Amino acid sequence: MSRGRAVFGSAIVLIYGFILLPLVVIVGVSFNAGSLFDFPPKGLSLRWYDALFAQSSFLHAFLDVSVTVGVATALAATLLGGLAAIALVRFRFPGRGFLEAFFLTPLVVPHILLGAALYLYFARLGLSASLTTLVISHVLIATPYVVRNVAAGLVGLDPAIEEAAVNLGASRLRAFLRVALPQIRYSVVSSLVFAFIVSFSDINVALFVSGPDTTTLPVYLFSQVQWQSDPSIAAASTVQIVLVALVVAGLQKTFRARIGM
Amino acid sequence: MTAISHTAASLDDAGEPRARIASWGTLLAAPYALYLVLVLLVPLGIVTVYSFFTYSTTGVALPVLTLRNYAQLADPYFLRLIGRTAGIALKTTAICVVLGYPLAYALARAKGALASLGFFLLLTPLMVSPVVRALGWYVLLDRNGLVNTVLVACGAGRQQLLFSEPAVLVGLSHLLLPFMVLPLVASIERIPPSLEEAARNLGASPLGVFRKVILPLSLPGLISGAVLVYVESASAYVLPALLGGRFVRMIGNEVYDALLVSYNVPQAAMLTVALVVVTIGILGASMALARRAIAVGRASR
Amino acid sequence: MRADGAPDLRVEGLVKRYAPQVTIGPISFEVYPGEYLSLLGPSGCGKTTTLRCIAGFEELTAGTIHLGDVRLDRQPAHKRNVGLVFQNYALFPHLTVYENVAFGLRLARVDRREIDRRVGAMLELVGLGDACRRLPAQLSGGQQQRVAIARAVVMEPRVILFDEPLSNLDLKLRLQMRRELRELQRRLGKTTIYVTHDQAEALALSDRIAVLSHGRIEQIGSPREIYERPASAFVADFIGTANLVRGEVLGAVEGRLTVAVGETLRLIAEWPGPAPRGALTLMLRPERIRIDWPGSEAAENRFTGTLGDIVYLGEDVSLTVQLDGAVELMVTAKSDARSRTLVPGARVALSAEPADLHVLAP
Repeated sequence: MSRGRAVFGSAIVLIYGFILLPLVVIVGVSFNAGSLFDFPPKGLSLRWYDALFAQSSFLHAFLDVSVTVGVATALAATLLGGLAAIALVRFRFPGRGFLEAFFLTPLVVPHILLGAALYLYFARLGLSASLTTLVISHVLIATPYVVRNVAAGLVGLDPAIEEAAVNLGASRLRAFLRVALPQIRYSVVSSLVFAFIVSFSDINVALFVSGPDTTTLPVYLFSQVQWQSDPSIAAASTVQIVLVALVVAGLQKTFRARIGM
Repeated sequence: MTAISHTAASLDDAGEPRARIASWGTLLAAPYALYLVLVLLVPLGIVTVYSFFTYSTTGVALPVLTLRNYAQLADPYFLRLIGRTAGIALKTTAICVVLGYPLAYALARAKGALASLGFFLLLTPLMVSPVVRALGWYVLLDRNGLVNTVLVACGAGRQQLLFSEPAVLVGLSHLLLPFMVLPLVASIERIPPSLEEAARNLGASPLGVFRKVILPLSLPGLISGAVLVYVESASAYVLPALLGGRFVRMIGNEVYDALLVSYNVPQAAMLTVALVVVTIGILGASMALARRAIAVGRASR
Repeated sequence: MRADGAPDLRVEGLVKRYAPQVTIGPISFEVYPGEYLSLLGPSGCGKTTTLRCIAGFEELTAGTIHLGDVRLDRQPAHKRNVGLVFQNYALFPHLTVYENVAFGLRLARVDRREIDRRVGAMLELVGLGDACRRLPAQLSGGQQQRVAIARAVVMEPRVILFDEPLSNLDLKLRLQMRRELRELQRRLGKTTIYVTHDQAEALALSDRIAVLSHGRIEQIGSPREIYERPASAFVADFIGTANLVRGEVLGAVEGRLTVAVGETLRLIAEWPGPAPRGALTLMLRPERIRIDWPGSEAAENRFTGTLGDIVYLGEDVSLTVQLDGAVELMVTAKSDARSRTLVPGARVALSAEPADLHVLAP
């Protein structure tokens, strides 16, 4: 039996290797001393990071656009999706079953389709590409995750605890606010983080919806890869990887639980 | 897609008039519902309408209704395009199933620090932008990349790996593997380990346990994951563009070019509609087939 | 504890309809000040539904509930001031023990010093004085139980409701908590309604027991009444074990019935009221059947049978005896030296007092 387990274990290690390999390569390339994409890197240096942070277009894409849009998306999506989840789980009203499925549809619509549709839509409305159009688009793709997350958190609540609060004198609303909401703070925070990352990493929609002044970091990277190839793009990518890794690890540590999708 | 189930304790129980209940629920759900209508349904509607318009060199499109855009689908170029897209999507899904199951099982049964680490190593790549991951493969598969270095060392000679379908398949499977693993993990977690132990106790080999216990009971997660992977890979753009170049074009590439390069809006619109048909159509067909297979399997027992 | 004066809680004609075929009720009963009333029955009998109706988490389809003079079923759940101790304790996981117990007082805007005093006193009372700062997750099951009780009692409700609070504990702990509960209730003197499916628990704790089945009350009475004079076969069987024997009334003389069971058996049962006629059911508790060892002479109700299974239970032995005429009886005897002489298949002589033969309706 243990030989079987050894085989299984090695298979898992190999699969994880497959998953991590490209990222490891990118990080490695970013430290190259030369200007080629050598991996393993021939000589170590931080020059590409220096070059990167000297590029105003990178900083603009990273901070002014991606982070700003990400934060705005996180807040808007969590608010919108949180209210929707509460409505779905805690209330009965006609059409609830339909809305349950409808609220999750952006998850199954291909992003290319959404990107193209929104591009035409904004053109039709006469709206030029701006941070606002980006936020609107990203909220569309991020909110379903929030709905699912918060709904799952609400469903997992023990109804007896709120009943205990009611029994002790709290109205249903106060019981919900004082007792239920604190218990789903994990869902809410992970929704915020999820929505931020969905926005931060999105490429397929941003490709259509971003404009010359509102280039997100992934779009910036994409154009850099196609036109100018030096390891500074690896450095930019590493920045993204490190940021995401910190966020994921932070969430895991704080809540000692797993983030499901 | 997992369904959202409901708790017993609604906020509208015991002693409140029905009219108020309905209005609170709809009030909370309305903002998002309205948002979806305005930002999802209306644009999709507009795209569908545009797909029937005529190409215009001056404006966005001429509001002259025509079926010419769809007629283009009969052209062998587009037929090959659709075929290639569906083919790549199916192969990617298959690869993700094969790689995803062992990983999902390991994660579902792992505990403590190992589980945390496992999820961390799966989720971080997932959250990183597709561009970054495609770039990684680009560097790996390049003529001077690591893979070729290894091949040369093994005596197989330097190969042209990039700009081929296998490169796209590798990139897409890598990109979408977490989409398959996460729903599967959720499904497998629901299978009590005692069921596996019972099967082993009754004489099943590990493979038998998988076939008879894990597979049938994790079917919802499998289908959920497969649907997600299929839809995403069929509509992929960035990966085929970077790793496939001119040689591997998928519907997504055509849409982008039609919309942002040739400014042929009706054609782009038509292609997106075709994309929806390709994904939903094939999905529906395979799900009907799967359902029939499950029913037949059940009846034969 | 005293069934005199006005009742604290009055339930009249309570009906709860879940679905066309599923109805609980009508149920009516009263609980007097300081009394400990148990609602006892198997799952699905309606005891928890009744409790939740009193607490306000279920709406009545029909009937009324009065708390003193106040019409309780018209009040929203959070204004009823009936304490509820939940089956799984329902402690607020994000609040400390102190904050849990203080929760209701804070909502009622009680003065902070007063809260401190009352919470402190209550925690001392349940033996958790030094656990104030801990979170529920850091407590054992028994401790969580006590916090739940403290939280409900500190509000000084008129009535306390318990929803199967001990069913999640293991046996030893359950017995210990049972003793503590009884003591606590005696000390506080609170009117208590206690829901349980465990009949030993109900017998040990209650002043009165209401036995429920299929949404109706089969019998209300003191533990002794319920055990010795069950009103129906269901009650007889649900509390303890019962031998139920069908027979025909042959005659009645001065409060004693002669009942024919099968071809040969004649039993005499005490029955004070007017004599019933025709077929009826007799109930006989296994421990009330005596083994007639050679040399002893019992006067009435003697019969013989063949021993079937003998199960050693430590303190007692449980015997299955097949009487002539297809009647099978369970007999419980002390496992003393004499009982060791019993072997399966042997003939054994038994007897029972007429007072121990209880008549159930046909």
